[in-house]
Amino acid sequence: MELYSPEGLRIDGRRWNEIRNFECRINTHPNSSDGSSYIEQGNTKVICVVQGPMEPALRSQANSNEATLEVNLSVANFSTTERKKRSKSEKRMVQLKTTLERTFQQSVMCNLYPRTLIRIDLHVLSQDGGMLAACTNAMTLALIDAGVSMYDYVAAMTAGLHDQTPLLDMNGLEENDMSTLTIGVIGKSEKLSLLMLEDKIPLDRLESVLAIAIAGSHKIRDLMDSEVRRHGNIRSSKLAS
Amino acid sequence: MSRNTEISTNERTYFIEALKCGLRLDSRRFDEIREPQISLSKTEFGYVELDWGLTKLAVRVSAQIGKPYEDRPFEGLFQINCEISSMAWAHFDNSKNSNEEILIARIIEKAIRRSNSLDLEALCIIAGEKVWNITVDLNFLNFDGNFVDVGCFGAMLALHHFKKPDISIVNGGEDIIVHDIDERQPVPLSILHVPICLTYSFYNPGNKESNLKGEDDDEIYLLDANLIEEQVREGSIVVTLNKNRELIQLSKNGGIPISANVLLDLSFKSMKIVDELTELIKKVISKHEKERYEELNLKMLEVGADR
Repeated sequence: MELYSPEGLRIDGRRWNEIRNFECRINTHPNSSDGSSYIEQGNTKVICVVQGPMEPALRSQANSNEATLEVNLSVANFSTTERKKRSKSEKRMVQLKTTLERTFQQSVMCNLYPRTLIRIDLHVLSQDGGMLAACTNAMTLALIDAGVSMYDYVAAMTAGLHDQTPLLDMNGLEENDMSTLTIGVIGKSEKLSLLMLEDKIPLDRLESVLAIAIAGSHKIRDLMDSEVRRHGNIRSSKLAS
Repeated sequence: MSRNTEISTNERTYFIEALKCGLRLDSRRFDEIREPQISLSKTEFGYVELDWGLTKLAVRVSAQIGKPYEDRPFEGLFQINCEISSMAWAHFDNSKNSNEEILIARIIEKAIRRSNSLDLEALCIIAGEKVWNITVDLNFLNFDGNFVDVGCFGAMLALHHFKKPDISIVNGGEDIIVHDIDERQPVPLSILHVPICLTYSFYNPGNKESNLKGEDDDEIYLLDANLIEEQVREGSIVVTLNKNRELIQLSKNGGIPISANVLLDLSFKSMKIVDELTELIKKVISKHEKERYEELNLKMLEVGADR
């Protein structure tokens, strides 16, 4: 199997610096939640539903200084080609969940909502690489839809390294074979709020991989922004009439 | 979690003010690690105690013979257990696996296991039937910050120190004989590379909002934070590297964002410390081997070696 052909084409026909088809919708579940979103990054599909800020059920969850974020990550049994039951207490899941919670604890203006709980439920319907990135993007959109104050968008993207060439937005096949870097960028800056690299990559190549991943994140941020604005315009035109 | 482990506001302000003046409370430089004190067990293989500042860790490596996974008949089994109890610090609770503990264990595991630093195929005895099952148990005895770096270093040290009994296969591959370590010299594990984790903690003395938006870059980075530094920190990143200039893991779980340039800068700077620590493991182990060699009078047994 050839992941990157000499002509510069990848397994799904993209060039090295192209992202997959990115579709996003916000306010997908207006009746059951305060904020919701749906994201497709290639074949990775994630639904995110936000409840809150609300009064926490447990006293222990109330923090008198800032809001508590609670993320529930559930990966559907049918999300991969091989059907597999996944437990929420798996170490990998706990790590992803904690990573998301801690990332957003900083990007959301939690100090504005003391003694409240913001519950975020993520449902991964289909996995094809870049699950953490898709979850981050879905969470950003759903929180925006819920009207929770944030400093800026957190846009996440993956990038990998094939031999000497950095590849943007890895799909599942590529992710299995190459080392993948996931980053989350705040708005249009070069500030990284999320960082995850799980396999070996030469130190001297880090810069090029990081650069393309940041550029990709900025692109994703623009795409998410245009969806938020499109939705905003529909709403405001309804209000006007 | 007991309340009295929390740090007071006065201590916090004092600490941050000191940082702004370029000082750490234990007078280290910002990018200086605490000197590790190593004691290797003289009597058994694979038991190491490590003092890293006041953080204290005991590592025990053990080997058993087990059956390999069906989809990987040629590979041995290798696992890392992380035991963090309230003995180390009252903040940790004994009852269930806290998120903190899982995170620490997983970062260490990813650094060592997923990067294939241990040659698993060398642990195979009979393909599909019998393989070595190597277990590393990390027991934290006292906590003064930086479990990840200490845990990873301790585990690699213990793996270097460990030796498994020699084995011979008889009856045309049907049976095996495990030789007692007094009967035949035990064999060391084959270690492909030495991953070293370095944790940087960061602090933002300025305005949070302008920092998040990337308008100013005045964060302070500390390597190898101790307990107070770890409690006050606003974010951290673990960089795992080896001597071959390979980046094995980057892990940033929340906290204030860092700029890409700083990240690159930190990873390049880390190489020097990685080289030093790798060298330290090699040095300590070879010194220990030499002492053992002399103590056991192995020279007398080498009959034909010098001919």
